[in-house]
Formats: sequence, structure tokens, C-alpha cells
Amino acid sequence: MDLSRALRRFVARRPPVFLVTLPGATAERLAVEAELRSRGWPSADGPAGASALVVAGDPGGDQLAWLGETWRCVPQPKAYAVVADAVNGPGALDEVSELLVRAAPEMGPVGAAAPGEPHAGHTGHEGAPDHGADGDQSSHAGHSGHGGHYGHAGHHGGVVAGLPIAERADDRDGLRLDRLYLNLGPALPDWPAGLVIGVALQGDVVQEAEVRSPGTGVAVHRCPFWSAPWLLAAGGETVPCGAADRRRCAAHLDSLGRFLAVAGWPDPAARARRLRDAVLADVAPGEVARSVRRLTRRIRASRTLRRLTAGLGELPAARARDLGITGPALAADGDVHARLCVWLDEIERALGGMNDTRPLATDGAEGPRGRIGGATPPSQALLDVLPVLLRGAEYACARLIVASLDPDLDELVYAGVAHG
Amino acid sequence: MADTAPLWGVVLMPFALVAAAVAAAGLDAAVTAASRRGPAAALRDLPAPLGEALRLLGQQRRRTDVADIVLGRVGIGLVPVAAVLAAAVLPWGFRAVTDPVAGIVWFNAMEALAWAAIWLAGWGPNSALSLIGGYRFLAQGLAYELPHMFALTTAALGAESLRVGDVVAAQQGLWFVVWMPAAFLVYLLSALAMAFWGPFGHPVGRDAAGGAVVEYSGADRLLLLGGRWLLLVVTASFSVPLFLGGGQGPLLPPWAWTLLKTAAVLVLLIGGRRLVPVLRMDRYMEFVWMVLVPLTLLQALFAAVVVLDR
Repeated sequence: MDLSRALRRFVARRPPVFLVTLPGATAERLAVEAELRSRGWPSADGPAGASALVVAGDPGGDQLAWLGETWRCVPQPKAYAVVADAVNGPGALDEVSELLVRAAPEMGPVGAAAPGEPHAGHTGHEGAPDHGADGDQSSHAGHSGHGGHYGHAGHHGGVVAGLPIAERADDRDGLRLDRLYLNLGPALPDWPAGLVIGVALQGDVVQEAEVRSPGTGVAVHRCPFWSAPWLLAAGGETVPCGAADRRRCAAHLDSLGRFLAVAGWPDPAARARRLRDAVLADVAPGEVARSVRRLTRRIRASRTLRRLTAGLGELPAARARDLGITGPALAADGDVHARLCVWLDEIERALGGMNDTRPLATDGAEGPRGRIGGATPPSQALLDVLPVLLRGAEYACARLIVASLDPDLDELVYAGVAHG
Repeated sequence: MADTAPLWGVVLMPFALVAAAVAAAGLDAAVTAASRRGPAAALRDLPAPLGEALRLLGQQRRRTDVADIVLGRVGIGLVPVAAVLAAAVLPWGFRAVTDPVAGIVWFNAMEALAWAAIWLAGWGPNSALSLIGGYRFLAQGLAYELPHMFALTTAALGAESLRVGDVVAAQQGLWFVVWMPAAFLVYLLSALAMAFWGPFGHPVGRDAAGGAVVEYSGADRLLLLGGRWLLLVVTASFSVPLFLGGGQGPLLPPWAWTLLKTAAVLVLLIGGRRLVPVLRMDRYMEFVWMVLVPLTLLQALFAAVVVLDR
């Protein structure tokens, strides 16, 4: 008994944390990530590898259902903490430590689906959003399975233990192969917060993709973190150009970190995130400029990375313009690697403008994801193009394509744009 | 020259292997910490793998719905078992636990068990991401195994024997790495691929939330991820008798030379891991068939001509 207590105490010193971010909670995510780094706590790939589930944002409504699923996938002993406000980051992690020592697993997301439901314990992160991020699927709650929730799947081959059997369809070579429906997100590591994409998979090839309601039923009335300077300027406030450039630089470093993590290059990914936090912390540009340039040079020089990402997710400028895409994805005029290079260019350019104190122009402003102030936020156009780009891509390539566009759902929940 | 080790060596070998794996994992953790949080964090993270092992031992094992528990556990168990069995022909100094006539073939066969192991482990939990991880390793096997076997063949050709002891003995005076550099480099690449580690870690990649290990926790996860470090240590150490002269060297005793050379190879691999992102097999395959296979064939041809000419 004392031994297990000692073990719990030991684990509580640096538990691996699975961090789930809700849309609109970028500031909270950044606070938790910085705190995790300074404590040296590892970040888990999924719920099964974690000892603690930490949620950035204040969960409500349907979010509690899939958070409950994710929570059930975390093995005992485990702890749960919510960071509803960025300043509470350190406190929440202290709480995680205490919970692990006390072994209080009942402290999970309140409002989680009742135990004994068909897919309790079923595959966590991709099974979790079965309950649908959108409200109109509540009729399916309790009837588990990917197929039932996927728009095009009316008739699957049967059900085993509450899970649908894969049905069959022709693959890209005309072979009849098993086809599986599942949702990617919202609790995947290094995935845009709140995004859910329903995919039909054959093997690991995406046959069809459909962006599911990124709005989560919970309206967020906070200014989206990454495009805040431009939105504030458009609202009539005076924002210095330097502050906007600082935010743009950090936004792209954030996207870069996520992209590199997905590409399986953890070392520069961690560096990008550290530099992002330094840029946000108002460090003098001269102090970070050299490290940032060293990082961008290293990424640009990697021929392996270029070879691995070239030719994926081709999006010519003409087509992007037709779809209403602005910003880096339009400027890149090409594949995943071209979009990566545009980020690197913009990061370097923004480094030079951080001391600019002139006020930001109020119209025609380009935020990190594109034109601010249009009828729809720039990330909406990025989401609209995803199904086309993902069709025919392998799972790993699909992740790279999503990461290279990096839609920011904060913009959507703020604007209150309904989708799906 | 090559004797088999006394009986206590059989008992000691798995423990020595685990100790080496813990040391290698500790070094990797320290290097990672140093690059992320500065050199001060490196020392603090050196024992992190031991802590992680303790954490996993005290953790609940997860079970997924309609899982194929037996196959999954067979797969998980095979990873460390394959590593230990492969290590049986690994000479420490000049002595291995056993030195059969076809030692190199035995080693290769044990490594090939990893194919089955990872695929079964990925299949077991009845989860899409886990299955994707398992399939990724099969594709990886198709990519690395052929050049890997040519590299092994080249070393055997140089010694005109498949016995590991003979291969070491044949390198008296001149290590194989000197006149088989291509085979040595290809061997190191495939050592990484076999242990699905570093640039070849796609089967357990973060993009698939952990791939083949995504659903495992507790002891299952420990066996799979710990077994992976055992595999890495074994395959890396096998390059020493194959290409680096085994226990040969001046002044120091043979076991010390083995240890030094093994450590050097592991440091090279752990340090080099940071330079490249994870390789996707759909792109790597082309490089393998267009570059590595012809290269290893030429290397084998060169070795054959040298041997005929001797």
C-alpha cells in the first residue's frame, strides 16, 4: 500500500500530459505548453500514453461528451484539469500533481456520457468525437460507431459489439476493399483545435473527407488570439504595426511547430515553439532574431523535408483565388512545401518589422491566415478546400496537408459562423 | 578464436542488454532535454526512461472493444523476445552466448520477427490508427530488408563464413568498414529501420497519435517501447562484430573494445536522429530501389572480387 503511494508520488513529479485544446482557447494552450516545458513534463501522443488530461478552454455542451470518452481512455491512476483562463496554467498543473498523489479518478469531465454505453473504452481519440461535435447528431448519441455518424454511410455491413463492420467499396485501383469511416479530431495531437474531419478510409488512403462542424455549439466571445491585432485595428483601435508583426511572427512559428511535429521532426518543432513564446513575451527582436533565422535556414536547407513534402496538397494560386483563399496559402501557389516556405519568409520579414510604431492600417489587412474583414474569416476558405485536397491522400499526407494550411478555428467560433 | 560464453553469460546477457538499453534511452532523453530546455535539464532527464518504466508498471492496462487480445499480446511480447534472441549470437569481446554456423542468418531471422511483432501489435486493439501504424511497419520492412540483407551478405562474403566468430576473426588487421563502407552505412540505416526508431519511427509516429502503440498502456506499452530500445541496442551493437572488428583493438581487453565501439555507434545514431524528419516509406522506397539496392550490390561485387583475388 505504501509502495503504490510512493509510486503515485513519483509519477506525480512529472506525469505525461495529454493536452486537448478547445476552439477559442489558444491563449490557454500557449500558457499550458509553456508551463509544461518549464517543468519538463512530457506531452503524451494520446490518452493511452498519458497520466493526465488537461483541457485548455472551458468545456461545455457536446464537448463534455467527447472529453468524457477521451478521459475514459486515460489509464489509471489519472488526473483531470481544466484551464479556463491562461493565468491558471501553473495552478492547474499543480492540481494535476495533487490529484495523482491522492488518486482521485472520479474527478473527470462532468456531464460525460453515462458508463455502460456501447463504446466505453473504445478507441479514444478517433472514436471520441462519435458523439459529434455538432448538435444535430444528438439522435445518434448512444448508437456508437463511425458509420452511423458519417454522412454518406447509410448501410454498413453489420454491427459487432456496437461497432460497425467495415463495408466495401472500390479503391483507387478498382479493387474492392474494406472502407472504414472515422472522424479525425478533435483530440489528436498537433491538430487544429476543435477541427473534426470525417473521412472514409481504405487502408490508410482517404477516399472522401468532410469537414464536420468546427463550431462546437459553444459560442466564444473572445477575439481570436492570432488575428487579434488586425481585428482590433478594424474595430477602430490604434494598434502599432510592430505589435501586429510580432503576432504574425509568433502565429507562423506556432503553425511551424505543429507542422514539424506532424512531419516527425521533434527537435526543430520544439525550437519553433520556444521561439514563439519568446516572441510573444515581448523579448527585444534583436535577441531572438538570430535563433529564428538559424531555425528558418535549417528548415529551408533540409532536402529530406523537401523531398518528403513536395507534390502534396497542390493548390495553384488561380484555384486558391477562386475558392476565396487569401494569405500564405494563396501566396505559396503550390504544394505543402511551398506553403511552408511562405511561412518561413513571412517569419523573417516580420522579425524586421517588430519595432515599427506606426499605426496599423484599418482596411485590407492581411492576418496570419489571410484577409481580415471579409464576409467570412480567412480560415473558412481553408476549411472549404480541405475535402478536395485530402481526397486520395494517405493518412500521413492528409495530416501534413491539414498542418500546412493550419486553419484557425478560433476565427470561426468568434464570428459565430455556422458550418456543416 | 571465438568461444561460447560460460553458462552465467546466458543469465547475464538479458540484464546487460536491458542496462545498455536504459543507458541509450537515458542518453537520448538527456540530449532531447538539452536541446529543448538548455544543458541544465540534460542531467535531470538522464534517468527519465527509468522513471517512465516505473510509471508504466504502476499503470492500468487498457482494453479496447472487440480487441484481438491474444494476437496483440503475442506481438508485444515478440519485440523484446526477438531482441534478446538476436543478442544470443552477439559476441562480447570474442565470446557470444552461442556461435552457430549460420549465426548471421539467425540474427537476421530474429530481426524479421519484428515484422510480425509490430504488425500483430497494431492489429490487436481493433483501432484504425493502431492498424495504420502496423501497416506502416510492413511497408518499412519491404523498403529496408533487401539492402539490409545485401549488407549482411557482404560481411559474410568478406569472411567466407556465416559464423559471427569467423567474421570477427577475418577482420584481424583490417576492419571491414574500411573496404565495405557502403555496406556499413546501409546496415546502420536498416538498424534504425528495424528498431522503428528515429527517422524510421513512422510506425509509432506522433501524426498517428502513436501508431502501433496508440491503444496500449501500462505493461503492454512498456514491453513494446522498451523492446524497441532493446532492438535498437542489439542491431547497433551487431555492427561492431560485422564491420568494426568486434573486440579487436590495442591495450584494452576485448570486452572493453566491444563496449566502446557499441557506445560510439549508439551515440552516432542518437545524435544523428535530430538531423532528419521521419521518413515516409512511399518516398523512401524510391531512394532504396534506385540508390541503396544498386549500391549494396556493387559493394557485394567488390567484396567478392577482393575475396576471389586473395
